[in-house]
Amino acid sequence: MAKTVDLSVDFCGVRFKNPFLLSSSPVSNSAEMVERAFQAGWSGVVFKTLNSDRLPIVHPSPRMHYVNYGGKRAMAYQNVEQISDRPLRHNLLELLYLKKHHPDYPIVASIMGFFEDEWVYLAKTCEDHGADMLELNFSCPHMCIEGSGHKVGQAFHLLERFTAAVKRAVSIPVMAKMTPNITDMTEPALFAKKGGADAISAINTVRGISEIGREDWVPRPNVFGVGAISGTSGPAVKPIGLNFIASMARCRELGLPLSGMGGIETWIDALEYHLAGATTLQVTSGIMHYGYRIVEDLIEGLSDYMALKGIGRVEELIGRALPHLQETDHFDLKRQGIVRYDLDRCIGCGQCHIVCADAAGQAVEWDSRKRRPRLVEDKCLSCMLCQAVCPVPGLITFREMPAGWKRRETAVRDSRLEPELKHEPFTKEGPNECVA
Amino acid sequence: MKPATLFKQMRKGLDLPQAVAEAERCLLCHDAPCSKGCPADTRPAEFIRKLRFRNITGAIRTIKANNILGGACGELCPTQRLCEKECSARFAAQVRPEGADRPIAIGKIQRFLVEHAWQIGFKPLRKGAPRSAKVAVVGSGPAGLSCAAELAQKGYPVVVYESRPEPGGVLRYGVVAYRFSLDFLRNELEDIADLGVEFRCSHPVEGPAAAEDLLKQGFGAVFLAPGLWAAETIDPKAESMPGVFSSVDYLSALRDGRFKDMAGRIAGKTVAVIGGGSVAMDCVESAAKLGARDVYLVYRRSYAQMPAEPDERVEAQEAGVHFLLLNQPTGYVAGPGRRLKGLKLVRTRLGAPDASGRRSPKAVKGSEWVLACDVAIEAIGNRPAAGSRAWYPHVKLTGDNLIKVNSKTGRSSVKGIFAGGDIVRGPALVVQAVADGKTAARAIHRYLSE
Repeated sequence: MAKTVDLSVDFCGVRFKNPFLLSSSPVSNSAEMVERAFQAGWSGVVFKTLNSDRLPIVHPSPRMHYVNYGGKRAMAYQNVEQISDRPLRHNLLELLYLKKHHPDYPIVASIMGFFEDEWVYLAKTCEDHGADMLELNFSCPHMCIEGSGHKVGQAFHLLERFTAAVKRAVSIPVMAKMTPNITDMTEPALFAKKGGADAISAINTVRGISEIGREDWVPRPNVFGVGAISGTSGPAVKPIGLNFIASMARCRELGLPLSGMGGIETWIDALEYHLAGATTLQVTSGIMHYGYRIVEDLIEGLSDYMALKGIGRVEELIGRALPHLQETDHFDLKRQGIVRYDLDRCIGCGQCHIVCADAAGQAVEWDSRKRRPRLVEDKCLSCMLCQAVCPVPGLITFREMPAGWKRRETAVRDSRLEPELKHEPFTKEGPNECVA
Repeated sequence: MKPATLFKQMRKGLDLPQAVAEAERCLLCHDAPCSKGCPADTRPAEFIRKLRFRNITGAIRTIKANNILGGACGELCPTQRLCEKECSARFAAQVRPEGADRPIAIGKIQRFLVEHAWQIGFKPLRKGAPRSAKVAVVGSGPAGLSCAAELAQKGYPVVVYESRPEPGGVLRYGVVAYRFSLDFLRNELEDIADLGVEFRCSHPVEGPAAAEDLLKQGFGAVFLAPGLWAAETIDPKAESMPGVFSSVDYLSALRDGRFKDMAGRIAGKTVAVIGGGSVAMDCVESAAKLGARDVYLVYRRSYAQMPAEPDERVEAQEAGVHFLLLNQPTGYVAGPGRRLKGLKLVRTRLGAPDASGRRSPKAVKGSEWVLACDVAIEAIGNRPAAGSRAWYPHVKLTGDNLIKVNSKTGRSSVKGIFAGGDIVRGPALVVQAVADGKTAARAIHRYLSE
């Protein structure tokens, strides 16, 4: 490995020794926890969201659930935990402690208020107690109190006003955390920018229902007979997180640095978030499942990858997928391909045949004597569903066919019914977009 | 642990998370080799898929509807040469390093599902709408039970005649209890009794034409499945010699009131078991567990030719059994009071393959010797009871006194009489007996519908 790798990143003028931060959540609830996370290798923390003690915060019990996929535990988590239930004084003492004992580890204070003065009060207090940066929580998906959490994230003018108020009050950088429970995140992000935000973080949890009890019919977590639509997180939400990060990263008008999160467990997830446009990365569910130790593999895996690729700095990765990310109308549809089977390695399970017959082009016939598939090339749709189910990695690959190659049309079951057709071809000219 | 306690403890089965995890490994083959490999058509591909999609009750239904002794088969089948033999997951290891190099544990999943049904009280089978024609089943072993359950589901009143005091045949009297416990058997039998099958125990169908006479006593059809309960022996004169037992005697004693007596005859003694099959392995392992001083497995061929399953052989070795291979027993040496003193042996060498395809043992001249022992157990095969020919005098038999049937229907040469299990096949597997019972039940249904 030729190149030495520097994982440190500059984020709004704050230096992090690597891109991996604890996100504002159960994993960043106390200085004792955060200190151990720093020792494990996390470069910074977005501390569990602070509030002004004006309203009592009581966490529901039980507060979390999970979605298993077959034998795999917790492909997603479900939580109804609220913002920090600790007194503000205690949280500020924790910030002081961390600042004093770990000055090289930036502290991002996450805050949530309900009106301007409260936001300003919290922002100033955090700055006064050593926060290096603020994250404005506009996105908690299950706060019980009207006018808080994701409801602000969906009320764009409020979001802009609160951001502006905070910005006027403090000199440290301010980041706005966005809810994914919305179609287009660039819109609220632009309002945050108008309010003066220095960065955007996303995604908070996705509103969902993880499970409904088969015996009691109560959505989980079952809080004494009551369930709620609440925050889903974990590996299952990674595609959603990448969508919002990439969408904001390629929005020129926005142009703010991004802190990405949503389903990051491995260095490969981290790499993808960087390539989609995120500078810092935040993790909760991965830690809820495996503990702080996973940062060792995030750091080592990403470093080695970069060294092998000859990439010295994380900045060189940020947004590098964006030139390859287009709308679907940019596809070159003249180029077509099919699958290739390396039958020497086939173990004869026949799953390819099943999915091709029932979900694709009926291009994979089955030789029941040899127990091997037989590809009918000109029926292959190149959907790759067979590759998805094949238990042998790399057995089924994609290959491009020469120019002029044609796929067979799907056969009509009974063309003798032709005389019974009643349809006239549609001939009216019109625009190629939806109009009222 | 006391032998009596030890013998009651059956090996633990899988629990739900383990069974689900195992089902997760299944590749859900298109034309699953496992299902083709089951003689009784228990349809493992189907019940594993159902478990995989959390249709657990459906998975139980698949097993029980196709194999009423699904629990017994799951535990007792030599799965590695049946359903698991061609499992695609076995081959996955060659191409996928993280994939396991073992087949899906189909037998274990099957046993789990059946036990799970008992645990949750799920009964997937129903009696059929009542029919008038009655059917008699002779013998309550696997073949008889399978036939009875199949017919009861079609609505036939079925009476099962059993000569011994309790039903189950080989499942009760021919398997050691730590391999297959009485509780497990009771549950399996209850599933059958729930279908309305009537059991008449201590009711042998013996005596001149007794089996054929059932047709005159109001039964529309008779299924003969008495099994093989007379033992082959190396020395017919030794039958009454104290210390010499057949495997049938020995294993039965461990399952009925004679356990303590038999345990006492084994503990601290030198025991020689003759034979190389699964039954011989049960005998040596149980003798070791009963505290025999030394247990010898005496087999005339070598390790590779043993009919016992590989895992059974390993278990016997792990139990500390001496494998005395390439030694042919020729007779017994009696001491005072005709009590057994030793086993006469002659060393053998392997010669050319015989009809079974295995290399045959050839005695080495001048190599005769005597193994001193207190107990000998002969596990070299069973045959029909002496005189059984007279119980069904018109039924055509083979030279070995086995009943001749059409293998597709189980029909014997006498109209209305069907047969299956060991009395047709000679010593065979439980799952094959189950298959015979099903085949015959369907043929009986056709016959009675004519």
